[in-house]
Amino acid sequence: MLKFIIKKLLQMIPMLLVISLLVFIGLELTGIDPLSYMVSPDMAGSAENLERLREQMGLNDPLFTRYFRWVSEMLRGDFGYSIVSGTPISQIIAVRIPATIELALLALVFSTIIGVGIGIVSAIKQNGIIDYVGRVFAVVGQSIPQFFFGIILIQIFAVSMGWFPVGQRISPGGNWSRIQHLVLPVTTLTLSMCAVLMRYARNTMLDVMNSDYIKTARSKGIPEWKVIIKHGFRNAMRPVLVIICFRLPMLIGGSVVIESVFSWPGIGTIIASSVIAGDMPVIMVTTLMVAASILVASFLVDVFTALLDPRVRLGD
Amino acid sequence: MNEKDIVLSVKNLNTSFISDRKEIKIVKNVSLDLKRATTLAIVGESGCGKSVTVHSIVKLMPKNARVKADYILYNQKRGDKITEFDLSKLEPYGKEMRALRGPDIGMVFQDPMSSLNPVYKVGDQVAEGLLEHNPKMSKEEAKEQVLAMFRELGIPDPENRINDFPYQFSGGMKQRVVIALAMICNPEIIIADEPTTALDVTIQAQIMELMKSLQTEKNKSIILITHNMGLVAEMADEVCVMYMGRIVEFGTLEHIFNNPSHPYTKALLRSVPVLGMEEGRLLETIPGITPNPAELKEGCEFADRCPDCRDECRKGTIPAFEVEPGHKVRCLNFNSFKEVD
Ligand SMILES: Nc1ncnc2c1ncn2[C@@H]1O[C@H](COP(=O)(O)OP(=O)(O)O)[C@@H](O)[C@H]1O
Ligand code: SF4
Ligand SMILES: [Mg+2]
Repeated sequence: MLKFIIKKLLQMIPMLLVISLLVFIGLELTGIDPLSYMVSPDMAGSAENLERLREQMGLNDPLFTRYFRWVSEMLRGDFGYSIVSGTPISQIIAVRIPATIELALLALVFSTIIGVGIGIVSAIKQNGIIDYVGRVFAVVGQSIPQFFFGIILIQIFAVSMGWFPVGQRISPGGNWSRIQHLVLPVTTLTLSMCAVLMRYARNTMLDVMNSDYIKTARSKGIPEWKVIIKHGFRNAMRPVLVIICFRLPMLIGGSVVIESVFSWPGIGTIIASSVIAGDMPVIMVTTLMVAASILVASFLVDVFTALLDPRVRLGD
Repeated sequence: MNEKDIVLSVKNLNTSFISDRKEIKIVKNVSLDLKRATTLAIVGESGCGKSVTVHSIVKLMPKNARVKADYILYNQKRGDKITEFDLSKLEPYGKEMRALRGPDIGMVFQDPMSSLNPVYKVGDQVAEGLLEHNPKMSKEEAKEQVLAMFRELGIPDPENRINDFPYQFSGGMKQRVVIALAMICNPEIIIADEPTTALDVTIQAQIMELMKSLQTEKNKSIILITHNMGLVAEMADEVCVMYMGRIVEFGTLEHIFNNPSHPYTKALLRSVPVLGMEEGRLLETIPGITPNPAELKEGCEFADRCPDCRDECRKGTIPAFEVEPGHKVRCLNFNSFKEVD
């Protein structure tokens, strides 16, 4: 298993390199003067000064030399500067990433527990009350857009009832206030993700429970809960985990909507504003991060699948 | 023969499936008795309801199934003590029914490819039932028993193979694992649903011999579902011939082979290879196709394909007639004999 994990990790390196190369070439093609994002704008001086700087910094070197320099700088944590605000990108990210990850992970955990839980129960008690309610909820949940749902929640629980703050992440008041700020965005994300997951988990579990090996398990006379957990659930989890893992990059890259609705200071808002402002360096780095999160997700899928399925673990 | 020597007695089993809000009858008024320490074969074309019949008996049915029976009596024998269970009254996955699955009734399912859980080691899957029914047994003891069973079934290198996963086994080897799984708790009744279809002929013979010797040495009883008449001839004491959910002929092996009476049985015997059949004799196919169970009309189910069909065959339900003691035929050709049910 350890060998498998190391192998998968090593496989990620060339992929990351390829992606970063594509991103770098993309940056080249935009024709933006690299100096403008390598040097903080207020430090820039006269034209000769800049030309000297250019020579000194090796900006007249061939593309690949510069690419490798860029990569090695990023490896050391130097991501360049935003051309709009002049702030180092590493600083922007350091502030924004925790906010996005916090939201994403909480929503992921809750939607997984609730979605998978209700899905499995709906499958075992097919056409029962929970199955029925779940079906209605899924239709409603899939047809209401996330932003609309978020606005409704804000309207009801923040504006009318005043139970929760309207937006932003932290206002003075410590941990309690932090949780208060999290409730509405996490609820919105969780519910909208639950809808799909629930039905998927249910259908997968139904398929598994109708398979021949479940009948075999029952023919041994083991209790039904063992049949469900040991033989059913474990097999149903394989496809469900794939969906859950790939939620992660979707949550990080696609957090734009939810972060805008809740004025959540995460990566999503940065991606949105940098695209609007044409802040290429920031776009490049965030793109790279989203790509990296997709790689991480597929790595997690590989590991979970291997843990659950001997054919993957022991094969080839 | 004492009535308690009937280990399993099924009376008027009816099974239907609900699909698209319609109820389709698949098994109709099936009654059968399995005598202790004998083998009962169930034969018939595929789709006639053999698997559904035995799954209904052991109550392993999908949710869209409706099973009714006057009774399904199982007479459990422990030493001299005989306890009677009516399976039709038990909860399918309740405690009592579960206690019988494994130590009393072992099932070999039809498709070995999909009958094993892909994510567990085969040894553990076979041991699971053993450990469930013998709570005091240690894992080591269970492993020893599994190894012994694998050896008996001719699985090579069992010490290593018990740690393999199903995907690492060939079809034939999987089939043996499935058989091991059914036999590991030493059940009174083994229900084997086409247990050897995935095996080549010599292996088939080996496995069947093993089951047969188990049956004779340990007084076990077997219900064997098969297409293979050679296997029937070798294994069975009694034979049920099924057509479209009904038992159309029942008798001892001699009755069925020497005096096949129902037109379907005769056609069936002409259409499948029988051991010792004269060289060069051509196999016939049964004319016509199996009707769709949803579209069956009243009267004899075989009417459309039967060479002897006449008007009264199309009406009502055809009763069974006893053409000689213990030999029953569901066909109006024999209505001069005593009607039985
Ligand atoms: N779960 C089910 N739902 C609906 N119909 C079924 C189901 N299982 C079996 N059947 C139908 O029952 C009939 C008999 O099937 P089966 O007992 O498997 O035949 P066989 O004699 O080959 O074992 C078939 O027509 C099949 O389509
Ligand atoms: S009852 Fe009539 S149709 Fe049916 S098998 Fe006998 S002769 Fe043929
Ligand atoms: Mg079958």
